[in-house]
Amino acid sequence: MAYVSMGEAHRRITEYLNRFCDAVSYQDSSTLCRLLSFSSNSPPLLSLADALNVFQDSSSLIRQSDRFSEYGEILAHVFRSLQSYRVGNLVEAYLAFEKFANAFVQEFRNWESAWALEALYVVCYEIRVLAEKADKDLTSNGKSPEKLKAAGSLLMKVFGVLAGKGPKRVGALYVTCQLFKTYFKLGTVNLCRSVIRSIETARIFDFEEFPRRDKVTYMYYTGRLEVFNENFPAADTKLSYALQNCNPKRERNIRMILKYLVPVKLSLGIIPKDELLRNYNLHEYTKIVQALRKGDLRLLRHALQEHEDRFLRSGVYLVLEKLELQVYQRLMKKIYINQKLSDPARAHQLKLEGIAKALRWLDMDMDLDEVECIMTILIYKNLVKGYLAHKSKVVVLSKQDPFPKLNGKPVSS
Amino acid sequence: MNRRNRGSSSSSSSSSRVSNTYGNRQFSDNPRTGSGGGVNESFQRRSDAPHKRNNEKDESKHKDEDPADVSLIVGTCSSMCPERERVTRERLRDLAVFERLYGNPSKSSTEIAVKKFCRTLSAADVQASDVRPLPVLEETLRYLLSLLDSKEHPFEVVHDFIFDRTRSIRQDLSIQNLANERVIYLYEEMVKFHVISHKRLQSCSGTSISSMHHLNMEQLAKTLTSLYNIYDANRKPDYIYENEAEFRSLYVLLHLNPSSGVMGEPLSLWFRKLTFALVKSKEICFVRNLLRLYRMGNYKNFLSRTASEATYLQYCISEHHIREMRLVAVQYINNVCYKLQPYPLLRLSQNLKMKELDVESLCHECGLETCTDPDGFTVLPVKQSTFRSPEDKFKVYDLIGIERIKMSI
Repeated sequence: MAYVSMGEAHRRITEYLNRFCDAVSYQDSSTLCRLLSFSSNSPPLLSLADALNVFQDSSSLIRQSDRFSEYGEILAHVFRSLQSYRVGNLVEAYLAFEKFANAFVQEFRNWESAWALEALYVVCYEIRVLAEKADKDLTSNGKSPEKLKAAGSLLMKVFGVLAGKGPKRVGALYVTCQLFKTYFKLGTVNLCRSVIRSIETARIFDFEEFPRRDKVTYMYYTGRLEVFNENFPAADTKLSYALQNCNPKRERNIRMILKYLVPVKLSLGIIPKDELLRNYNLHEYTKIVQALRKGDLRLLRHALQEHEDRFLRSGVYLVLEKLELQVYQRLMKKIYINQKLSDPARAHQLKLEGIAKALRWLDMDMDLDEVECIMTILIYKNLVKGYLAHKSKVVVLSKQDPFPKLNGKPVSS
Repeated sequence: MNRRNRGSSSSSSSSSRVSNTYGNRQFSDNPRTGSGGGVNESFQRRSDAPHKRNNEKDESKHKDEDPADVSLIVGTCSSMCPERERVTRERLRDLAVFERLYGNPSKSSTEIAVKKFCRTLSAADVQASDVRPLPVLEETLRYLLSLLDSKEHPFEVVHDFIFDRTRSIRQDLSIQNLANERVIYLYEEMVKFHVISHKRLQSCSGTSISSMHHLNMEQLAKTLTSLYNIYDANRKPDYIYENEAEFRSLYVLLHLNPSSGVMGEPLSLWFRKLTFALVKSKEICFVRNLLRLYRMGNYKNFLSRTASEATYLQYCISEHHIREMRLVAVQYINNVCYKLQPYPLLRLSQNLKMKELDVESLCHECGLETCTDPDGFTVLPVKQSTFRSPEDKFKVYDLIGIERIKMSI
């Protein structure tokens, strides 16, 4: 920490106080944002923090002037939070910021116009980020992490403040997204339901009115929820929306969307180009796509195993596992095509023994009963058109379109 | 039911248990396991603060508090039922059949009266003398489970009693915020009770059976959740408790069908939270395989794997799905096979791990006719248009191959 003289400390603190009160008086939201973005670690904030740690009695400075003491409570908490943050006492920093946020939201409520909305966004962002840091601290000291959960409650309160008829309501989606991030991090994803319901059914909200950036984030998270619930058409719609409206320069965000959209598309029979996977560094899907193209079950199994941990953590493992049936379909098609070349008259009859042989080549040993079971499934689910002659141990394919494409619909359950 | 003799059976020094239960806790220096990254951060650690259960306790109580400061109830009741409750219920003639001394509806005794489940919930209302400490709870559960062998009463009656009284045990555990290996054992035994009841209630008849079944499922889910919370509470990195993998596997089996929503959390989300050691355990790998086969509709492998590898508990939970897979098989085969080649029931019975007569019965349940072919074998003519879902949702047929599990109830 840099050495600061008492005089210099006094000057810095007073300067901040003036800036803050000016920002409020002149409704200067962008300045207010800068004054509250603790986690940005901006030099002015850091040097203010140093000053506070030297001066120690900032509340006396606040009391000195009527102008400052009007926002006395808010400012005292801000200072305490910043001070604690600077010395690495993250739990205290969170707690003080929480008190500040509560007081700030009360003031915000009283301001008629929505001038301070951007600043409120900053407060919401900071509360979440500080809570995450505080929890990390608590955990590494063997204590129970509960600050992020508390932050979630506060964000819900803010949502409530914004969910009204006035111009402030366009801020609700931003807060919703902060809530999503909080719940996803905590793993309490079911809590998203109530806020989604508010956004989507309350008459005061018009989805189109919200800022584009927030809409993209919202669709990303709700799309992910659809993936968890295996509603593939809905997941496709939402994640595709996010992709189409995402700023093309934000490559990291695009990758995040694609991470979920690719498995969804695969489930609908839509295969991405290799260069897409390459450009966005989605190499974990390369072998899966190959397996689908070649009908190679062994490769699919191998790919799932190789990235098992990653797929389980992102929640797409079960989705990818289901692709097995499509891979079988592709394999059958290959066998059919091969037969057409060698014996066109009888190509539409797939002997179960022949299929078993092909599977053995892929190191998959199955008896004829198992092969028959698989074929039964494929035919029933319309991945193969035809019928099974059990006694003759043969699958007779339909002459027309024996391997129907999914065409954007998931395999029927 | 296997009842291991754990711990001492004495109920002395029941009041000074607090420091012991906290003393059993282990603190870990290394907060994260091999899986690393985002997932485990959503994994709540409750090493020292008393963990929150189903009810959301007042948040302000828990902020920055030292574990020693939190007010805890320490039970002092030394018998299975608090004295004053027993006396009251004797007077009101509110004694269950098992609590009546020589059948007398207004006389019980400390040996057979067991504390009833009661809905008063806040810790403030409860007196220490009404709460049983851990050794007494252990004794109580042992006693209750011994009643399962009773032949005197129909199972529904036995179940009903144990159902209520174990709920009371869980309540006493929760009020005292107990969480250690002995408590884990208790919860595991209670889960087992609910699982076995789940199976046995199916062969009972009566108008209230279906609601009993439903309530039992509900409590099974709640007990499992509490059990998982305790497993998580004192977690050492990559450590799993002796039976944890099997009990975790039950969750997967309860959620094979994505629309069943038994406990509310989709499986994809649930798997995110499993530690590396659990994901790789034999039991979890087994049920993940079953999950894949079930969702694919692969009846043959699902049934043969279940028959050859499932534990008794896993089998009990899976009965409904076994039935489903068999119905799927009949439906698919009826739909896709060649009309001129009826399907032999013998072959079908082998694939479905059933007796041939049972397969025939199943077909008839689905509205399908069977007949005999010229060689005298029973066959299922296919492409029948009369297939429908059977009315009886719960009828169970034997699973050939499951006899390998010694069922010592």
